[in-house]
Amino acid sequence: MKRIFALMLGVLLVGGLCAFGAGALRATFAWPTMIDPAVGSDFSSSSSLVNLYDSLVYPNTDGDPLQHVATSWEVSDDSLVWTFHLRDDVRFHDGSLLTAEDVKFSMDRMLTIGEGYGFLFVGRVADVRAIDDVTVQFILEEPFGPFLSTLYRLYVLNKDLVEANIRRPGPYGNWGDYGKSYLIDKDAGSGPYMVKEFRVEEELVMVKNPDYWIPLDPETPDELRFIGTTETATIRTMMARGELEISDQWQTTEALAALDGIPGVEIAAFSPGTMFYMMINNKIPPTDDIHFRRAMAYATDYETVITHIFPGAFQARGPVPQNLPGADPTVYQFHRDLDKAREELALSEYDPREHEVELHWIAEVPDEEKVALLFMSNMAEIGIRIRVVKVPWMSVVEEMGALETSPHIVTIFDSSHYPEAGSLIESRYHSNSAPTWEQNEWLLDDELDAAIEDAIATVDRAERFAKYGAIQQMIVEMCPTIFLFEQVEKHAYRADKIDWPTARGEVNPVMGYNLAARFIRILN
Amino acid sequence: MAGGRRPARRGRKAGEGERNEMSILRFLAKRLLLSIFVLFGLSVLIFTISRILPGDPVRMALGPRAPQWAVENMRKEMHLDRPIHIQYAYWLSGALRGDLGQSLVTRRPVSADIREFVPATLELAIFAGIIMAVFGVAMGAIAGRYRNRWVDNVIRVFSYVGIVTPSYVFAILFVLLFGYVLNLLPTIGRLSPWITRPPVLTGLVTIDSLVTGNFAALGDALLHLILPGVSLALGPLAQQARIARASISDNQNKDYIASARSFGIPGRVIMFKYLLKPSLIPTVSIMGLDFAGIIANAFLVELIFNWPGFSRYGIQAMLNKDLNAVAAVVMVLGLTFIIVNILVDLIVAWLDPRIRLGGERGK
Repeated sequence: MKRIFALMLGVLLVGGLCAFGAGALRATFAWPTMIDPAVGSDFSSSSSLVNLYDSLVYPNTDGDPLQHVATSWEVSDDSLVWTFHLRDDVRFHDGSLLTAEDVKFSMDRMLTIGEGYGFLFVGRVADVRAIDDVTVQFILEEPFGPFLSTLYRLYVLNKDLVEANIRRPGPYGNWGDYGKSYLIDKDAGSGPYMVKEFRVEEELVMVKNPDYWIPLDPETPDELRFIGTTETATIRTMMARGELEISDQWQTTEALAALDGIPGVEIAAFSPGTMFYMMINNKIPPTDDIHFRRAMAYATDYETVITHIFPGAFQARGPVPQNLPGADPTVYQFHRDLDKAREELALSEYDPREHEVELHWIAEVPDEEKVALLFMSNMAEIGIRIRVVKVPWMSVVEEMGALETSPHIVTIFDSSHYPEAGSLIESRYHSNSAPTWEQNEWLLDDELDAAIEDAIATVDRAERFAKYGAIQQMIVEMCPTIFLFEQVEKHAYRADKIDWPTARGEVNPVMGYNLAARFIRILN
Repeated sequence: MAGGRRPARRGRKAGEGERNEMSILRFLAKRLLLSIFVLFGLSVLIFTISRILPGDPVRMALGPRAPQWAVENMRKEMHLDRPIHIQYAYWLSGALRGDLGQSLVTRRPVSADIREFVPATLELAIFAGIIMAVFGVAMGAIAGRYRNRWVDNVIRVFSYVGIVTPSYVFAILFVLLFGYVLNLLPTIGRLSPWITRPPVLTGLVTIDSLVTGNFAALGDALLHLILPGVSLALGPLAQQARIARASISDNQNKDYIASARSFGIPGRVIMFKYLLKPSLIPTVSIMGLDFAGIIANAFLVELIFNWPGFSRYGIQAMLNKDLNAVAAVVMVLGLTFIIVNILVDLIVAWLDPRIRLGGERGK
């Protein structure tokens, strides 16, 4: 028995020593992971897609679009036709050339399926034309300035490979299943990494593409392993044993402190562009009164929230995160000032003693309760009574679907759909989003709607950003929301084993791009 | 005369054997028939409950920003736009053909998920079940044999600790102790990354490795089974030990054991030949439930060890309101309970000939 055990242990240890050399990058994620570009859109899916596929343009750390598969582009005078000129040397993992037909196929597929990042293009892209092998045109329904930024999410598929693996019949008519069943665990991309093995709910293994069209640094990982676990004890053990290089961002403060104590492990903290809002219903009494809302904004203890409840977070300044392109750093930042709060309350048409304000927090995020209770205590100081209610996420989504059922205040995290201030401004404050979970404010303001529509239709980037700034000023003036804080994403990582640009401060504002392994080096 | 009586005895024995066989067949037929009703009832119950829970499963699957038409398309595709009884009819007709629908989370046919995840949990449960049965009975027998001696006291304390401690606590402790502190045993998955996986024959990595002669994979798979298997086994093992001890203690005072002792039969022979078999009856009865319980309760252990098993899949399905997966998981668990209980009844009947299957006891 002892011999058998020793033999098994020997296999394990020797194997472990021989396994990876210096070449593997292992990271943990919360699953499920969808590697079909027309289906996946969450963090783990986005991080995988970035490594498996190429897009026409690539975001730099300021969120600006850089040339990638597209070498240049131009926009028609009416801002409706976007023409892209492609490289002629990009090859898919099977060796075939990437052409305009592949780009057209990828966009058509996205528009037909409508899942994943499809919402960025559905209703905006009217048609796609492959002019020749290296020229592709997108015809938009109406002018849309941030179109380039949305193209970070158009991952180009190998049309021939997908077509050869379509299952018929399927839900998409002649297109059968549009290759969805094939792309569950295989890739059809041209990216710097390719799928080696995909074990659902367990692990996604990718290997370096030796023929990638951009020469890869030999020190970039030979293999990527995205492991589907967020279990604290497991991650701590893996990190200590050198079996993990980057942890997921769902580790608790206590778990991160323990990880930080492991020799060689450091914590990378950066803003992922997610905001925490206290969304105030602007259409029901007493929160329909701007002075009442301002009184609450002045009475809120921001410092305690970012120091003790969400340590490391930044107090928000206006409706969009400050690292989001187009954010206005000059907008007014509310701060705790009880005198001002009482002054505002005195101006309100409502007597706080006659009203109770109902605050709903999301049951699945326990730390929100701490914020809710702190807020209740803060408001009590100026005589506002708060009733704190714990509500499951699905119920919150349902109650926010109608004005009649929307509570006075809901606490929610939200982030931009594409890396521009206009995305959050539109999804949070345009009337279109009023009956969704993204807006409890119910602003329904025609003037604001027109300003938002005008801004996102502006193609010139500087002009568009100036308009975003004016809108942010307008929103802060209305005080429809308590802009509480910008979330900080934290990962434990092996600083002694990898050089991770994100940890050095080169943070990409587009979700998933901080895990682009072609920029990460394995240290020997 | 004697020669003339032998055929009669043989005939009586043959007759008893036939009656026993008939009894077993009747029992099986009756239980299987009842099982169909149980499964049908279970399916109606779980189907209804899963569909009246708040929240739109399709919206959850496609995300809050998916266009409404995409949501409607998927709803239509999954027949969720039809009345609930029609949905059930669709589901039942599919299930009878082996088509359990599509998972909203993995986006694969649920039957494919089950084929992939069930063997992982089954392998873990079998491993844990073996540990539970072997060590539980052995510890119970030792404790019963040396009643009120120090070894009994040690086992008693161990049993109490085992019974009151949830398996996930053991799992976390083992990960930290054997993984983090001692760095002795693997803590995630079914195989190490550098091991060549055996081809999937049964889905049980140990069996597939053995069959294909991949002994490196076999050794590695066994090492991966140790921590999650022991974590899962400790609770039921402790329970088994207590029950076995009580049963053995009880039987030790019976007349037939005293009679055996008076004939000078050695203690070891009494234990293994006369005492253990009847004492195992309550242990085996509980063992069946414990085994099914291991499968049902494996969720947290699978989560901690990143074990790609069925229990973890089931919980994910429930959290994400993955309707078809939830129904399938509950049905498979129900089926497991039924099969295990039938097997337990058969084993108990074999252990104790006084028990006649199908309620014929005492005839």
